[in-house]
Amino acid sequence: MVLSGVTKRFGDVTAVDGMNLEIRDGEFFSLLGPSGCGKTTTLRMIAGFEYPTEGSVRIQGREMGLEPPNRRPVNTVFQSYALFPHMTVAENVGFGLKMRGVGRSEIAERVARALDQVQLAHRSDARPSQLSGGQQQRVALARALVNEPAVLLLDEPLGALDLKLRQAMQVELKELQERVGITFVYVTHDQEEALTMSDRIGVMNEGRLLQVGEPEAIYERPTSRFVADFIGHINLVTAECAGSGMVRIGDGAEVAVPGVQGAGGKVTIALRPERLHLTAPDADIPAGANRLRGVVRRRVYHGDGFTYEVAVAGTVLEVRTENTPGLVRYEAGSDICVYWDPSAANLVED
Amino acid sequence: MAAPVTPELEAAAERAQARRGLLVSLPAYAYLVVFFAIPLVIVFVVSVFGRRNPRGATVYGPPTLDAYRKIFEPGPDGSYLVLEIVWRSLWLSVVTTIVCLLLAYPLAYYIATRTPRVRNALLVLVMIPFWSNFLVRTYAWRVLLGRSGPVTAVTSALGLTDTPMIFTVNAVLIGLVYGFLPFMVLPLYAAIERMDWSLVEAARDLYASGWQAFRKITWPLSRPGVIAGSILVFIPAFGAYVTPEILGGSKTTLLGSYIVRQFLQARDAPFGSALSFVLMSVMLGATIVYFRTGARNL
Repeated sequence: MVLSGVTKRFGDVTAVDGMNLEIRDGEFFSLLGPSGCGKTTTLRMIAGFEYPTEGSVRIQGREMGLEPPNRRPVNTVFQSYALFPHMTVAENVGFGLKMRGVGRSEIAERVARALDQVQLAHRSDARPSQLSGGQQQRVALARALVNEPAVLLLDEPLGALDLKLRQAMQVELKELQERVGITFVYVTHDQEEALTMSDRIGVMNEGRLLQVGEPEAIYERPTSRFVADFIGHINLVTAECAGSGMVRIGDGAEVAVPGVQGAGGKVTIALRPERLHLTAPDADIPAGANRLRGVVRRRVYHGDGFTYEVAVAGTVLEVRTENTPGLVRYEAGSDICVYWDPSAANLVED
Repeated sequence: MAAPVTPELEAAAERAQARRGLLVSLPAYAYLVVFFAIPLVIVFVVSVFGRRNPRGATVYGPPTLDAYRKIFEPGPDGSYLVLEIVWRSLWLSVVTTIVCLLLAYPLAYYIATRTPRVRNALLVLVMIPFWSNFLVRTYAWRVLLGRSGPVTAVTSALGLTDTPMIFTVNAVLIGLVYGFLPFMVLPLYAAIERMDWSLVEAARDLYASGWQAFRKITWPLSRPGVIAGSILVFIPAFGAYVTPEILGGSKTTLLGSYIVRQFLQARDAPFGSALSFVLMSVMLGATIVYFRTGARNL
């Protein structure tokens, strides 16, 4: 599926701005971004509920143009599930097949198989209102998948579920996608969801696609301040280039950052809290590491780890440590040394 | 100092709550008893125990079903006048309901799918006729459909007919549809407006054409509005009095007018009461059947 130069304007508001994106066959692709970033509008343009103001949407090499939703090889799982309340579970799942004129016995067979796939064969005569949220979710999935679409569109389908169920469904969804081999385009504002399930992620903000890549690339090597900040926790430090691969931060301390060129220019470097390490002020650190001396300002307990706020070189860095046996804890106010490998730092655009 | 709660205390609290509920609804109950239940009993008593004496007064005696029997008996000229009138009232009110539904559904759909501002303006327009008297508005139709009215002018200019429509069944039908249309529009609007449009999108996504999505999703989901609107139109149309009196002729007598005539001209209160009672029973029966079938398919 290819989107090229897709723009959508509602009056004066530009919801999606010149989007170019290629989604590969059989991949689990997530569109990630805050609410109002245009990710749902993008999905609706693929489904055919909205038409682009400019640009082209091609699915399986076919230009979609102004084709209505019923003539596109895609199906949607809606945020609110949109199950038909006046039909049984089986009638809901069989709706698409019936509309396409598939024979009665084949419908029954395929519906049974689809419901089996989502472990709901025993509820086929129930009404949607008699099902739990998780079950409704699975009916919505079965209703879309039974049509064997080229692309399945999912609009924050797990948003209404509670945390435990959501995590279980994440695994289930990913497994289901691998089993059926259908391309999934998954819209979410939940970065954890996107990171755990996706083959690739596209991060959007204010109608623009900022970065596309595998989850690790998005997390480890964000190219912009927005992407770095939106996904996970991160320290963003403004620095001045000091020549020969060094930058000067805060009160003038110099640290090495790979890829920095020239002197005098301003850059923003991004450092993940878990890539920073703490140790006593005069302890030995690995060769080549950057080190800064500072003072612990605050320590926050998370159960599986601690987050420290450390004042160093005129700025504040967040440092994350795992709750491992024998972990040394530092109290607020104690002198400390922060060190990290230069490769942990990333240059990002503002 | 409050005592710990026991099952007895909880039951007492629930009873107190029920008493308060009853107290609040007492005025409504009183109104219904005085103006609905008691008159109903009186009508029933007159229809069963009353007889018309030769001077047109009602006298009472042992219970009899003579007044009811009269409905099904041929008149002095051998025609089943009463059944004819009941039949005419019935089909006219059914046609009125259907015409109202056909006119109101697209209108309600249009209003419900506008932006909130336009929507409210259109709803006010639907309700504007209520600002003037029903009788006055019905007399206006008499002018519109009369010999020198615009409707006759148009039909004769088109070479269709020179006969004015006034005092025909069609005139009554137009008057009834005109009068009861808002009662169909408003419940339909309410039903369509609160519909979840993502259901229609889901149907379109699942290969339904626009028309199929309407038939399979929008229509069944707006059925509560169709039922409510149909009842609100059918019942007053079945018992309509003012509209057929003003717009209808002698050949288009409806049940409402016929009942009034029994009381005021024929001075046969038992027969009028029996007719009223049958009218109410038919309406009640139709309403129950309609609600049942509608609710089942929901």
